[in-house]
Amino acid sequence: MSTAALHTEHDAHGHHKESFISKYVFSMDHKMISRQFLITGIIMGIIGMGMSLLFRLQLAWPDEQFGILETLLGKWGKDGKLDPNFYMGLVTIHGTIMVFYVLTAGLSGTFSNLLIPLQLGARDMASPFMNMLSYWFFFMSSVVLLISVFIETGPASAGWTVYPPLSALDKAMPGSGLGMTLWLVAIALFIVSSLLGGINYISTVLNMRTKGMSMNRMPLTIWAFFFTAILGVLSFPVLLGAALFLIFDRSFGTSFYLSDIYLEGVGALENIGGSPVLYQHLFWFLGHPEVYIILMPALGITSEVISTNARKPIFGYTAMVISLMGISVLSFIVWGHHMFITGMNPFIGSVFMILTLIIAVPSAVKAFNYLTTLWKGNLRFTPAMLFSIGLVSFFISGGLTGIYLGNAALDIQLHDSYFVVAHFHLVMGSAAIFGMFAGIYHWFPKMFGRMMNNTLGYFHFWFTFISAYLVFFPMHFMGLAGVPRRYYQFTLLKEFEVWADVNVMITMAAMLGGIAQLFFLFNFFYSIFKGKKAEQNPWQSNTLEWSTPVEHLHGNWPGEIPAVYRGPYEYSRPDREEDFFPQYIPDEKAPETAAQEGVVEPVETKTEEAESSVFFAAIKRVFGLS
Amino acid sequence: MGVISKFARRKTLIRFRKMKLNLFGVKGNSLFKKTLSVFSMMLTPLFLMAAEGVVAPPTEFNPMAWDWSSILTLVLAILIVLVIARAFDIGSLTEKITGKTIVSWNNVNAWAAMVFLILGLIGVWYEMEYHGKYLLLGDSASEHGITLDSMFYWTFGFTFFVFIVTEILLFYFMFKYKYDKNRKALYYFHNNKLEIIWTIVPAVVLTFLVLRGFGTWTKITTNIDKNSEEIEVFAYQFGWKARYSGDDKQLGASNFNFISGSNPLGIAEENAVNILVDELKVEIGKLEAQKAAIEDSSKIWKMQYDRFVSTGTDRTYPDEFKVLKTKYNDLLSGSYERQLEKDIKRKNTAIKRIASYKKDKETFNGSAKDDKVTTEIVIIKNKPYIFKFRARDVIHSAYMPDFRAQMNCVPGMPTSFAFTPIKTTAEARISKNNPEFDYYLFCNKICGAAHYNMKIKVTVVSNEDEYKTWLATQTPFVAPPAAAVPAEAPKGDSMTAVKTGTVVKN
Repeated sequence: MSTAALHTEHDAHGHHKESFISKYVFSMDHKMISRQFLITGIIMGIIGMGMSLLFRLQLAWPDEQFGILETLLGKWGKDGKLDPNFYMGLVTIHGTIMVFYVLTAGLSGTFSNLLIPLQLGARDMASPFMNMLSYWFFFMSSVVLLISVFIETGPASAGWTVYPPLSALDKAMPGSGLGMTLWLVAIALFIVSSLLGGINYISTVLNMRTKGMSMNRMPLTIWAFFFTAILGVLSFPVLLGAALFLIFDRSFGTSFYLSDIYLEGVGALENIGGSPVLYQHLFWFLGHPEVYIILMPALGITSEVISTNARKPIFGYTAMVISLMGISVLSFIVWGHHMFITGMNPFIGSVFMILTLIIAVPSAVKAFNYLTTLWKGNLRFTPAMLFSIGLVSFFISGGLTGIYLGNAALDIQLHDSYFVVAHFHLVMGSAAIFGMFAGIYHWFPKMFGRMMNNTLGYFHFWFTFISAYLVFFPMHFMGLAGVPRRYYQFTLLKEFEVWADVNVMITMAAMLGGIAQLFFLFNFFYSIFKGKKAEQNPWQSNTLEWSTPVEHLHGNWPGEIPAVYRGPYEYSRPDREEDFFPQYIPDEKAPETAAQEGVVEPVETKTEEAESSVFFAAIKRVFGLS
Repeated sequence: MGVISKFARRKTLIRFRKMKLNLFGVKGNSLFKKTLSVFSMMLTPLFLMAAEGVVAPPTEFNPMAWDWSSILTLVLAILIVLVIARAFDIGSLTEKITGKTIVSWNNVNAWAAMVFLILGLIGVWYEMEYHGKYLLLGDSASEHGITLDSMFYWTFGFTFFVFIVTEILLFYFMFKYKYDKNRKALYYFHNNKLEIIWTIVPAVVLTFLVLRGFGTWTKITTNIDKNSEEIEVFAYQFGWKARYSGDDKQLGASNFNFISGSNPLGIAEENAVNILVDELKVEIGKLEAQKAAIEDSSKIWKMQYDRFVSTGTDRTYPDEFKVLKTKYNDLLSGSYERQLEKDIKRKNTAIKRIASYKKDKETFNGSAKDDKVTTEIVIIKNKPYIFKFRARDVIHSAYMPDFRAQMNCVPGMPTSFAFTPIKTTAEARISKNNPEFDYYLFCNKICGAAHYNMKIKVTVVSNEDEYKTWLATQTPFVAPPAAAVPAEAPKGDSMTAVKTGTVVKN
């Protein structure tokens, strides 16, 4: 069926005509929605990064005056000096934007939407309408969050975790007034968006796979998106509950999180019986899975990109899936490690410590498997590949510091210090954003039908990679020396003066990173319109999305949806001349029967493990049968 | 067209089309208009809320005042990007025409990986050399800190080894296995033995670290000397206060309802509490008077408002006008009156609660009288201490990195941290080679604008005598009887006891 035929059919059934609005704005096509998520995510990313540069200026040169601050921020940057309240606001909104808007919606929203139907062989998502709603709720949420930056009392400024009572009392800091209300509204809308998306992803993965696409033939990207969606659906409602309680405390006089408070200039408050720690439990019950909601899609993308560009099967497919599963399950029972020193029972602290350090095992397995995939590969350094390797590097260096922070005893010293900042910016921030870049460079031809410029991509990668390490590596040392995070300036102690030159260096490196993003932005937007026309399968990849035509169609494939005959990572098979063997090409031996039954054993299944399902293999592994 | 998706699509569409919506005057049945009206309905209140607090109008258009150097730098940066892009475009074009490869990017990247690895390792070495001495601030100044440090060095040993080995492997593989069209990658799916090894080895190492960490953590949090001296550390926006128990070796009880200007820690001392009740009653009287005079204030504010507008001074004094306008609007909408009522009710509740506490003899047992509230903490070397933390307004965190100690101070939930200092300030000054060095306890949980500037000095002295000399200079909460101010008659109303907050009894 050709495109034209498709449209005739639509019209014949009284389908609405594709106007500009329904095609580009309120689109229900997963490919368009994915592009909408991506571009909104990039815009939010620019804003988030810009904010970080503004407060980095303050940290590096606390005594200097910058005209640009007054130009940009008005009364918050009077005489070129950043206002301490607004510094807190910038830190908060930077965190919120990066964690939720860029790395959750921008990453998972973009690539889940693009790849789940395309890699599984589905015409669209299970519910395209819900999918559209998901994007528009996200859009509204972004708008509300950005509005909150412009109000007179400033945006929410209690840190991205918005712990009450600071965030609950508008007399405690200016940012806890209207700014905080808007923050909560934005997050509530965001959660709705995330749930609509998540339910959709799960049902699509479970129900709409094409013929032959058994669970253990799904690309690792899909596995990652699948577990991510499950995590989101199970944990985001808890944050909604936490946010609702906070809204009640702020506006309706309840005391869920408030007790025994005396405010300067107000007096003793009536609230009694609540607990601020309750909020922290609820928040981190989402907050910890959220870390994996951010990281897992990036890991999935990396698996795909590394395997494709190393021209080599991903090492230990089963182990990769099991570790994703293990990480997902464990991530729900480790939230307490963010709260070791809140004064909760030390015994509970030790339970959380043990569970937390267990999660390092599946992470280690993943890192080693990536390394082995590269070993004896035939590496093509496309920008996507470089970013994926960068991710592995960050995943190792940032992940290892998690072993310090997960240890309750060491956390006494390291909690809320710059060590924490270094840790999560490497393992969650940089790693996930590198995964996102890898995804963008890799699937750009699929999204926009054009190629991005590789040379600019290389510049973008190396500058970003170097700047990320220059920014975050010295922060470990600052943290170990007891430098606390979220300080407006380091005039408190004389000993902090040692770090003055380090702070300058970090800010300069951050600026280098900012400039490097200009390469990307230019490349991205230029290539959308003027890039080289893409071939159908530019990376000689195996997965199903490259069997669709370059030009986007409603329903993705012009004719029948292709069936799948083998796993997605059949690269460099010794019995084939080409170094790849797409999933959708039937075996030469008995193509007819293979297509009918949709089950053709790939070469790998000759080994005992891959014959059985992934779940069965997991059981075998646990009991040491393999 | 797939059967399922087409069907699902149409069904949802039909359902949406059948909905009849007519919101905000947006009529019509098109998908767009309906969706628009739904969204506008949801967004409008937010825009209204935001419009309430929009920043003052932008200043005049004045290009001379712009930061031209920043703008030029930005423009220049963008231009450089464009030029570079163009240069490489031309490069690739020449490659196409001449058929020769000018730059083999695959090799360039492989070499870049190697260069990065070497420079990176040098960087790591440099950091260790240059900042390594600050690792955990040198020697610990507390007893448990020594075990914590050894835990740290074990972890550091393992992770640093893994870090170096894996990163070297990663970049070496990048260099070694760069693309070669004559080579085929190894067709290698998995190796159970290998995978089991790298599941079990990290598991064993982590088990070791977990067990050690568990031991250290338990030792720090539960091994508390029974003879420890208690010091209360009190956090507020933005500062710290400490309280010593005085001669009776017992800290008096405290409650947030007792906090007043003269009793910042809310100690249960009858005299101070009575004064507070009187103050509260006076304040309530003032508020009642304000409430009664609402009519008059309304007239006065109206007059002022009109004067501002009629003389045009609302433009010359925008801030003052805005304050007045807000006040006047609040008065008209009734929120001014509601706020007054709320304040009166809150103060009445406070009085009620104080009254119910005062019946409790255990709270007011007189042990608070000799407590000493100080603005500095002085402790003795080799003596066990328990710091009892309380916070007044928001969560703070008491952080003493030199002592490897940190604990959150949570309003409504007293916390504590026990430790024994083993190094005096004087000794630390010598070992750090800094004659001005002092230990500090500072805030490590975001708590407001001046969070970065919230500290209290901690001095470790070598013996009891020095400590006693210092303590003698501090005045007790209630001065000794000779100088005592005669107490005013207690006015605790005999109201019924209400459910009240936590009384901290030490």
